[in-house]
Amino acid sequence: MKRAATPRQTGAAPRRGKRLAPKHRPKASPEATGRRGARSQQTRFISRLRAWGRHHRAMAIDSLLRLVRHPLGNLLTMLAIAIALVLPAALWLTLDSAKLLDAELEESATLTVYLETAVDEAQAARIEEAVGAEAGVVQTRLISAEQGMAEFQQSLGLDDVLAGLEDNPLPASIVIYPQSVEPDAMGQLAQRLETLSGVDEVRVDLAWVERLRHLADLGRRVALALGALFGLGVLLVVGNTIRLAVENRRREIEVVMLIGATHAFVRRPFLYSGAWYGVGGGLLALGLLGLGNHWLSMPVAALAASYGASFTLPQLDMTGSTILLSCSTLLGWLGAWLAVTRHLSSIRPR
Amino acid sequence: MIAFEHVGKRYGGRFEALAHLNFRVARGEMVFLTGHSGAGKSSLLRLIMRLEKPSRGRVLVAGHDIAQLHASQVPFYRRQIGVVFQDHQLLFDRSVFRNVSLPLEIQGVEPREAARRVRAALDKVGLLHREKALPVELSGGEQQRVGIARAVVNKPALLLADEPTGNLDPQLSADIMGLFEDFNRIGTTVMIASHDLALIARLHHRILRLRDGRLVADEGAV
Repeated sequence: MKRAATPRQTGAAPRRGKRLAPKHRPKASPEATGRRGARSQQTRFISRLRAWGRHHRAMAIDSLLRLVRHPLGNLLTMLAIAIALVLPAALWLTLDSAKLLDAELEESATLTVYLETAVDEAQAARIEEAVGAEAGVVQTRLISAEQGMAEFQQSLGLDDVLAGLEDNPLPASIVIYPQSVEPDAMGQLAQRLETLSGVDEVRVDLAWVERLRHLADLGRRVALALGALFGLGVLLVVGNTIRLAVENRRREIEVVMLIGATHAFVRRPFLYSGAWYGVGGGLLALGLLGLGNHWLSMPVAALAASYGASFTLPQLDMTGSTILLSCSTLLGWLGAWLAVTRHLSSIRPR
Repeated sequence: MIAFEHVGKRYGGRFEALAHLNFRVARGEMVFLTGHSGAGKSSLLRLIMRLEKPSRGRVLVAGHDIAQLHASQVPFYRRQIGVVFQDHQLLFDRSVFRNVSLPLEIQGVEPREAARRVRAALDKVGLLHREKALPVELSGGEQQRVGIARAVVNKPALLLADEPTGNLDPQLSADIMGLFEDFNRIGTTVMIASHDLALIARLHHRILRLRDGRLVADEGAV
């Protein structure tokens, strides 16, 4: 780094105030001054940038060391942040899995057309054709009475009982995959299909898909509201902790302000502390979520298996973890900023 | 270097700390400011440090009306003034070295350069061998010298001191004043508030005498 000061000058001897006394500068031609001015301004800018980076690094390390020096109290603060983050995050994850379920359900939203028992196979095939020709029908699948029986037996495991029946009591049916899963469109389609001859009944099972969707919508809003509320909680926790830290270092702040520290300089270590609280809280939250997942995965898997489904609890992926961590870091930083800024105005050097 | 033009300062509307102050201090001068406690010495220094603004008149430092400085410029203004406090305002959680280097840290001076200047300043006040000590391990006189080292590490053009010998015995006080004279000799403008009349009378510098916030005598002016 080039400095204007001559390297020979080693004593603490205060020079005649260079900056306070512009007229003491050696006179030079305006052109030369301009060129030198531009260059020295550039080196000054670079050296200031370096100094800025140096102070950032120093304060990041210093504030981290201060945290480590009082591990228990700071861990508790981070835990408070973590808990505040875990609740909305867990709720969000649950809803996310509900959404997955919802998508699966939507795919399986079908109409089932039950044919009259008197209809034979050839007729059934003709009816399927007619149904397939209807507008709004994407695909059809004919399930003959025998197939229906077989599937029924398989799913219930009641071979013996059903084998005892002389006649097959089940009608043939046609499963329809509609273009639109909107309740209105499906209702209209069902009405039209019911008028076809040989059709006994059309069943639409969509109401609970709808209900689930509304429920998920509601849940998502609740999660967002909770997230906002708990985010505010994080701000308060960090703000309060930083407020105490500022109070503890009040004398130091007064002194550095007396000798020319800017507000940014004073604020910086506290902002880093806040960000570190956020990072720590975020990491703890991720840990807690992982722990909770582990804790619940066994019973959830067992429960799902008992319904013949395979369902695993959702986990935060890389993106989700990054978002959670950045949010908590940002909240910590913001909480510190609010606390320091509010407090700095009350600190005046004596 | 310093000019007070019809300066007055009121606190809380009524109490008049300073009134009708008119004086100039030339570049490179050494000036003592005396008067009883409460005469306005500290208030005057606080005005120069721009910890406060005058209620009336103008305070000019190096030709600039410092009341005009924007709040964001004030830190940069203060960096150009070295200040020695009566209670020396050292930070007790860090070493002598770190205390002295504080102004350089604030200005972002490159660490090697800063270390060199800190050692030079400590050498000047005779405390180079105590750089690793904590301020509490030092005597009162040594602490004051650390305060002086911190004030001059920046090579300020203007050095202010508020009762720098307040709690020291006569011999130590004379030593401290000798230090200020050294700095003055190399061109620094020095202004010292002190009520140690016997000591400053021996030193033969200009003396500004304050009484109830008014300038009552200006002795030894050139």
